[in-house]
Amino acid sequence: MSWRRICAADSVALNSLKKFEVDGIPVVVANYGDGFRVFPPICPHMEEPLEESGLIEGKVLTCTKHLWQWNLATCQMEGTETEKLMHFYDVKQEGDDLLAFIKSEHIYEFDEEDEMDDDDFFNS
Amino acid sequence: MPARNHNQWKANPPLKGGEWIDSRIYSDPEIYEQELEDIFKKVWVPICHESELPDPYDFRTATIAREPVVVARGPDNVVRAFLNVCPHRGMMIERRPSGSFEEAAPSGNPKRMTCMFHGWQYDMKGNCVYISREKEGYQDRLCKEDTGLRRLRCEVNFGGFIWVSLDDKVMSLEDWCGDAFKCIRKPLEAEPLEIFHYHKAVIGTNYKLWHDTNSEFYHDFMHYHNRVTGFNDAYFARENTAFKHGHVNVGSFEVQYDEYEGFESRAELSFPGLPPNQWYMVDLFPGMNFNLRGSALRCDIVTPLGPDKVMIEFRGFGLKSDTPEERRTRIDHHNSIWGPFGRNLHEDLIGVAGQGSAMLPGSENRRILHGRHENNLIHDEVGMRHYYDEWGKWMNRLPSDPSQPYMPAEAAE
Ligand code: FES
Ligand code: FES
Ligand SMILES: [Fe+2]
Repeated sequence: MSWRRICAADSVALNSLKKFEVDGIPVVVANYGDGFRVFPPICPHMEEPLEESGLIEGKVLTCTKHLWQWNLATCQMEGTETEKLMHFYDVKQEGDDLLAFIKSEHIYEFDEEDEMDDDDFFNS
Repeated sequence: MPARNHNQWKANPPLKGGEWIDSRIYSDPEIYEQELEDIFKKVWVPICHESELPDPYDFRTATIAREPVVVARGPDNVVRAFLNVCPHRGMMIERRPSGSFEEAAPSGNPKRMTCMFHGWQYDMKGNCVYISREKEGYQDRLCKEDTGLRRLRCEVNFGGFIWVSLDDKVMSLEDWCGDAFKCIRKPLEAEPLEIFHYHKAVIGTNYKLWHDTNSEFYHDFMHYHNRVTGFNDAYFARENTAFKHGHVNVGSFEVQYDEYEGFESRAELSFPGLPPNQWYMVDLFPGMNFNLRGSALRCDIVTPLGPDKVMIEFRGFGLKSDTPEERRTRIDHHNSIWGPFGRNLHEDLIGVAGQGSAMLPGSENRRILHGRHENNLIHDEVGMRHYYDEWGKWMNRLPSDPSQPYMPAEAAE
């Protein structure tokens, strides 16, 4: 049972983003005119909360922090800055309800650097 | 002795070397600058307590010898210290005294330290993780790998205090002051401590004068409370002990708190392993003090702001496991003596402010007497003599004549 009800479809206005929590999993719903997209609530660049930094115009989602962009109709990257794909959960509408297929929460990987042992670090 | 004319007043006292010092060391701007350089940039300084950064991404800022410092708890729970200075164009990165990096600064991202000037960002390990328009501006000539923060030596020790040094090659913290903490190490480390009091005062005096007042106890003549609850045989038998690197302990005795009207015994809330109503002091070179009075711990940290100006931060601690009622009682015990409106603190501040106003930069140098000998007991000035001998070594100056190079007190006679 991985189709989960997220919200009523009419609760997300045209060209806007709204955050929900489904069974403890945070998601953002975007209404881009031709339909809806559901994805993790943070920017794959640097963890910015997209419900605050995201802007939808002409079916393109822009994270206003550093202008990474994704086309919500094709799910592809847009613009010159973007370096990572956005993760989209499958989505469908049943009556008034919006559902998304979420097996488990998708977590982006952000690189983390290893650390030198303290003594090496301060003596090198 | 009758009053003295100017020449008589300027003559040296009939005491031995090391038993008096020249007041110039409290007022001379050049000596002050050298102290920042040769002492404060080379030693371990406690910045704050780990309970002030309880959660990942919590931070606290401070200054050591004018250098801005930030300490932050990483997602791995490790507390690290960095110079709070942006490698780009040198702006101070974090300007708040404390807070959390978990949420984004307006021009930055969550979980990063952001320099608001041009948006460069750093993670909790000090890695540079974002340079605005990196490729466009620097092509391949400079990248994030080249612009990490300066990490500083940082250790958490002696009851959860966070210690930082600006010197990468500083000796280990344990070597620096482990001996001096021995007398209160068990009570401090038996279980986690928690801060319950913070206030700071900027006082018109030299930082060493504040440390002096924490290192000698015969100014208890000024503290009515201490006379009433203290002055007995055991009080006068308290011993001062000197440790390497200029640190000093003042030994304990049993304080009779209930002798003072409105006060009560603190026996029931003694720190773990501490006999009832005992009172220990650990005075660390060059100006930090840990003061354990039975049920409450006080810590003073000085930040010198000029030859005649010091910021003193006062913190009070209880046990993290305190019930709300226990905590209220501890706070009461702490504040009734040491709070800004407590019985003793303002008296100490009046003392050092009075010295400060009589030793402003440019005032004629005078002799400050440290010559009391009472078998190293409580009214002996051995603590200050020990401190100034260490000071002389770090500064290579003779405390009684700072224009001369250091020599041991016996040789200076
Ligand atoms: S955080 Fe979204 S574009 Fe950088
Ligand atoms: S000075 Fe910090 S980003 Fe420019
Ligand atoms: Fe005092």
